[in-house]
Amino acid sequence: MTTLPSSQPASNVGVPRLPFRLARAETLKLRKRRGLMTVVLLLTIGAVCVMYIAFELFHVSNSEKYGPAGGLDHFRHAVFVLSQLGSVAAALLGATAGAGDLGAGVFRELVVTGRSRLALYGARIPGALALLWPAIAFAFTIVSVLTVGLADGLATPGTRLFVESGLWLELATTLAFVLGLGLGSLIGSRATTIAILFGWIIVVEPVLAHVSPLGRARDALLNAGLDRIAPHGIVDRELRLPMSLWIAVAVVLIWGTAALAAGAWRTVTRDA
Amino acid sequence: MIDAAVEVRGLTKRYGDIVAVDDVDLVVPRACAYGYLGPNGAGKTTLIKMLLGLTRANAGEMHVLGLPVPEQANTALARVGAIVEEPRFHGFLTGRENLWIAAAARESRAHARISDALIRVGLADRADKQVKTYSQGMRQRLGVARCLLADPELLILDEPTNGLDPAGIQEFREFVRSLVAEGRTVLLSSHLLGEVERICDAVAIVDRGRVVTQGSIAELSAGSDWSIVIACDDPSRARSLLTQQPEVSSVTTDGDSLRIALAHARPLDDLAAELNRILVTAGIGVYRLELQRASLEQLFLEITTRLEDAA
Repeated sequence: MTTLPSSQPASNVGVPRLPFRLARAETLKLRKRRGLMTVVLLLTIGAVCVMYIAFELFHVSNSEKYGPAGGLDHFRHAVFVLSQLGSVAAALLGATAGAGDLGAGVFRELVVTGRSRLALYGARIPGALALLWPAIAFAFTIVSVLTVGLADGLATPGTRLFVESGLWLELATTLAFVLGLGLGSLIGSRATTIAILFGWIIVVEPVLAHVSPLGRARDALLNAGLDRIAPHGIVDRELRLPMSLWIAVAVVLIWGTAALAAGAWRTVTRDA
Repeated sequence: MIDAAVEVRGLTKRYGDIVAVDDVDLVVPRACAYGYLGPNGAGKTTLIKMLLGLTRANAGEMHVLGLPVPEQANTALARVGAIVEEPRFHGFLTGRENLWIAAAARESRAHARISDALIRVGLADRADKQVKTYSQGMRQRLGVARCLLADPELLILDEPTNGLDPAGIQEFREFVRSLVAEGRTVLLSSHLLGEVERICDAVAIVDRGRVVTQGSIAELSAGSDWSIVIACDDPSRARSLLTQQPEVSSVTTDGDSLRIALAHARPLDDLAAELNRILVTAGIGVYRLELQRASLEQLFLEITTRLEDAA
C-alpha cells in the first residue's frame, strides 16, 4: 500500500443516477455469472430453437405424418413450453438475485455504505428484469417468426393472440422471478430457494390442483390464476380451473406482492 | 452536535442469555488511530456491527461522526469506510467490478475514485483479474480500496492485518498513519496487541463485552508497572533470595531470566542497585539487569487475567 495523497479529483460525469447505478450493479452481478446466464439462455432461446428444429426435422422426414413446423398449433405448444422453461429460468435468476449477495457475504459490504436496505433490495428487480425480459422477448420473437415463416399454408395466430401471448409470457416469467427473488431474500440461500420453488411449482401445486375436495380453495393456487389469464388455447382446457378473470388477477397479484413483501421485510430486518 | 468520531453510551447487545456487549461507553476522538483491543470473543466485532447498522443494539446510544445511529445511519455511514471480520467479494467478478458495485451504493463521485483507490493499495495491475484468483492479502487490500471509495472521514477496520505477510503488515501500519495524517480517523479492532501499540494513538481494552480501560497509549503505559529483569548464573537461588525482599511482590521465570515485579516502595534505581548487591554478596554472578515498564501487551494480559481470576 502506498501513501499517495488521497483521491480527491472525483467527478460524476457519465455516472448514472442512484436507482440506475444500483440496478446496473445488479445486472452486472447476474450477467457475469456465466453458468447462470448459459442456463437462462438455453431454457429460453435455446429451448425454442431446439423445439422448432425438431418440428422441422419431423416434418422433413415424414411430411404426411407430421405437418409443417409453423402454424397455430405449434405456436400454442411452443408458448406453453416457453412459459414453463422460462419460469424455471426466471426463478433461477430471482433466487440468485435474492440470495447472491448474502451467499457471498457482500450484502454486509453494501449495508455499511449507509445505503437503505430497501433501495438495495429494490434495485434487484429492474437489475434482473433487464436480463430476463429481453431473453423471453427474443425467444418469443423466434417463436413468432418461425410460426409464420414455417406455416406452409397452415393457419397462423392473429395479431391479438401474438400480443396477448407475448404479454402473458412476460407476466408468467416475471411472477416466477418475483417468487424466486422474494423467497431467496427471505431464506438467504440460493439452493434452498430453488429446491422449494421447484418442489412447489412442479409437484405440490399440480397435485393440489387435482384434489377436487379442496373446491374453490384451489383458486388460490398460483398456477390456477396464471392459467386462467393465459390466452385462449395456450393452456390445455382440462388443466384450467373454472374461476373468474378478476379472481385470477387478484391471485397473481397477491402471490407477487406477498413474495416481494416477505423478501423486503427480511432484507430490512436481518442481521447482516 | 458531538465532535467525537464515535461516541457510544451504555451500549448493550444480547444474544439470548449471552451478553456480547455490556453497557459500553466509548469515545473515539477525531483524526487519530484508535485501537479497540480484546481477546477473541470479547465483543469487538459485535460493537462494530452495531455502529455500522449490521445488527441492532438492545440498549444504549451511538453517534458516528456526530450523527445518531441508527436514526441517521444513512448520512453518517456515507463518510465511513469499513471492513468487518474479513472483506467479502463476488469471486467471479474482477477487483475493479467489485469496487464498481460498491461505488454504485455510494455517492456518484465514488466511481471516479476507483482507479486511485486501486493504485493506493497497490492493486492497479491486478484490478482486472477475477477476485477468486486473489490471495487473502490482496483481498484485504481490495477491502481497504473499497473503504477509500467513500473518501472516508472514519475508517472502521476489524482485524485488518489478518492474512497480511510481515511486509504487508509494515505497509499497512504506514498506510494507517498516512490516513491519520490526512485528518481521517481510524478505529481498528484487533487481538494483536503489539500491532495496536505500534499503530494506534489511543486504545480501549475490552473483555467479555465490557471496556476495561481506555486512554492514550502514553497514559496507559504511564500507569503500568515497572519490573526488573535479571539474568544470572544461579537463577533458582537468586529467586529464593529475591522473594524474601519486602519491595519484591513476585518473581517469575522468563526464559533464562527472572522477572521481578516491584511494590513501588523505593526509587527504582536504588532498588535495582540493592537487589544487585544482595545477589553479588551471595556469590551469584549477575550478567544482566534491566528496568522494564510493562508493555501494553503485559497490561492487557494483567487486566484480562485479573478478570478471569475474579470470574
